[in-house]
Amino acid sequence: MKVSFNELQGMGRKAFIGIGFAEGDAIDAAEMVAWMEAHGLGGVAALRKGLDYLLTEDPTETPTLVYQDADFSVLDAHNHSILGNASLAVELGYARARARGLSITKIRHCHNRVLVIGYLSRLARRGMNVTAFWRNSHEPLIEQVVGFKAGHPVPEICVYSLEDMPDETEKNDGITLIMANHVDLLPSLRSDYALTNLMRQTEEELEQQRDRALVEGLEVDDQLWKTLKSLADRLLVEASDASRSGAGAGSSDND
Amino acid sequence: MATQLDVQSQLKLRPADRVMNLVRLGSLHASRLSFSRSLVRQMAREDWTVTTVRGDLDERGHGVVIYRLQTPHHIYHGVVFSQHLEPERRSDRVIAEAWDVTFSLVEGAVEESLLAQMAANVPLQEAGRQHPRLLVLSRANKSLRNFEHFVEALAAGHQPDPAWLTRVGYLYRTTAVYGNGKFGIADYARLQKNPDFNRPFSAQMFAVYLLRHFSIQQVDHLAQCRAPDKAVPLAPALQRYLGIGNSTGLGMAPFLINHPQLIQQWVYCRERALAWAREQSPCEESRLELMTLLRRAHQHFVETATEDSEQTRRNAATVDSIAAVIRWLDQTQATPDLWNELLDWADDTCSLEAQELINTLLIELYPDLIDSAENELSCEEILELQPEMRASALKLMIESQFAWALEYDPKNPDHKYWFWYRSAEKEEPRLGVRAEEPGAEKEVSLAIGPRIHRTHQLLDAFLDRAPRGSVVEFLMAHPGQKECVRRIQTMGATVYGEIQANLWHRDMKPIHLLRTKLSFFGASRFDPKSDRWVRVTLFQGAPLFCELFSDHGTDKARLAALDDWSFAVEPDLNSL
Repeated sequence: MKVSFNELQGMGRKAFIGIGFAEGDAIDAAEMVAWMEAHGLGGVAALRKGLDYLLTEDPTETPTLVYQDADFSVLDAHNHSILGNASLAVELGYARARARGLSITKIRHCHNRVLVIGYLSRLARRGMNVTAFWRNSHEPLIEQVVGFKAGHPVPEICVYSLEDMPDETEKNDGITLIMANHVDLLPSLRSDYALTNLMRQTEEELEQQRDRALVEGLEVDDQLWKTLKSLADRLLVEASDASRSGAGAGSSDND
Repeated sequence: MATQLDVQSQLKLRPADRVMNLVRLGSLHASRLSFSRSLVRQMAREDWTVTTVRGDLDERGHGVVIYRLQTPHHIYHGVVFSQHLEPERRSDRVIAEAWDVTFSLVEGAVEESLLAQMAANVPLQEAGRQHPRLLVLSRANKSLRNFEHFVEALAAGHQPDPAWLTRVGYLYRTTAVYGNGKFGIADYARLQKNPDFNRPFSAQMFAVYLLRHFSIQQVDHLAQCRAPDKAVPLAPALQRYLGIGNSTGLGMAPFLINHPQLIQQWVYCRERALAWAREQSPCEESRLELMTLLRRAHQHFVETATEDSEQTRRNAATVDSIAAVIRWLDQTQATPDLWNELLDWADDTCSLEAQELINTLLIELYPDLIDSAENELSCEEILELQPEMRASALKLMIESQFAWALEYDPKNPDHKYWFWYRSAEKEEPRLGVRAEEPGAEKEVSLAIGPRIHRTHQLLDAFLDRAPRGSVVEFLMAHPGQKECVRRIQTMGATVYGEIQANLWHRDMKPIHLLRTKLSFFGASRFDPKSDRWVRVTLFQGAPLFCELFSDHGTDKARLAALDDWSFAVEPDLNSL
């Protein structure tokens, strides 16, 4: 079915609150999903993939700070979705970069990582240059780099596969964020390794995709919508005679 | 986004604790910056034309009517479905499932395939899946008494008594006017680059204005069907005096809380207009013009009737106050400081509604200065976190900018008397008594005051442990505070910030929230049905489509005359 951006965002927000997210996290998570879908980056597919995990996670378990110094932070997300309160890990990196000019933040053990792009756009709006890096798969080795230029609403994205497996590599389910106050960090495909360019999306392409989505609506499969609706319905209060009078309507609508 | 504190220091803006007081906000009136006024000015200035391209109404007034709107930039279509409604199904509440008319504003052409899709879904409203080219989705019920009286009178060859429209100022009353992506229709983001409808709620206002046009055509059609040889059309003066009703309940309240930046901007633009107006040096002509406006408004409130005792008392106080203002102005010279003296005098002697009415009418005097503010009523809405801020600075910000929120006392049951929630019945927003009704654990977090109070308490304890800590460190310790913190940081930087009321408080009246928003829409004739339900009239007195066309000229004087329709008064029956 086709839904509007506002509908997807609104339903997502209610569903995440229904799951047990705090209001701010629910708003951010819904925005990440809708933002990604509107820009053609598979927000709905990522949500569908991660929703079963989300339902088994404890939404009150927050990422743990493993290490920090003035400009480097490492957090453990405990195999939770990035949709939970991982936004605070990102904000920690932002605060460090504001103070020190540049920061590096590693969030270990998280899934649904692609959705972080939707939140990073917030930081770029606030004037921060941001690059995010993670590995999509280990065999074959696929890496993804997302770069936001300060002030720009959309990023440039590179996804590429490496033909030669580095000797010292191992599976990595983390994400690395580099933020800089004053210099661009846009991804550029230069490497000594032979690589295959799997996808490169420019800012212009992403903006065109968003304009199209606003005209045509966003496609969400009926089953996922039904699931989100049932999660959102957890917030509704059963009606009673007392509650019907709580709307404050008059007894007669004739005039 | 107005964060122009520098401007505030130059202009005499009223302080936030006065302006954002909920009872004062609930005393606002429509002004020349209201969306309905702004839309009519735009239609006249840009020569918008509306033609009927399909008018398939049967002898009972049921069927489909399609209007074509041509603006300088685009073409749109208004599609109205009119049907029979059993009396027992007629309800203003969101739990209703059928209505006398359902209608929509569509971007571009309405092809047969789209019309078929609309015919299957628009009458269902929330229960349908709507097409993404629909900009507005709405429905309305008849005022049965007015409707029948009008058709009967016109069919008998005479005009209906205008007094009927003074009691109830419309033939149709909308019960919801949806925009911004609801039920599959177009997102507001799509309209942001569209010069026709990029102002807040302008597409919705146009749809309501179009329904007024339909209601006139429909009664004329029915009278003609009933007595083809005898029927007369509705007189132009009565067409003008006819508005569109709106019935609004608690569903409107969450918008005001969930869009604080937009509300701030609306209030800021209005207050800045008032500050500009009171800075002007009045001349004899402007003194007399204000008196003319006051006399018309006085008559409007003399005529306004409501069954609600509190609103009746308020209207009577307005009538008395405005009569006193007219006497005061009559005896006062147009000195350079007259407006300031008038407003100071009114603050001491007039009721709240009368004070705000004087402000509204003062703004009327300076269109050249004020009207461009209508282009500033939109803003980008995003609450931004400043994680690097010191937690101590955040605490200070709460104490200086949100002192009203710290008046909340968690130990006082009256301070947390109500809770807001959505019912399983079509998600209708309702208000429950916390100590008596089930469901408080599912409440919708609309009460910002108690939340800010909680944040302040947690900050206090955090700063004991980490006096030099940052906001992000505070949030790592209290992740549930993120939304409230970014709201405080964002709204704390604006001039008017938040509506200063504890929405849990036993004495809180939701109707003040509803009236705040409705006044910006341009509503008049506030007719409360309870302290959380109100009926109003929109576009009463507004010029008709046929009067807007540029064939009548587009000179400034004519446009100004077309714009002068606020606080409509009853036309004389003998002059019709």
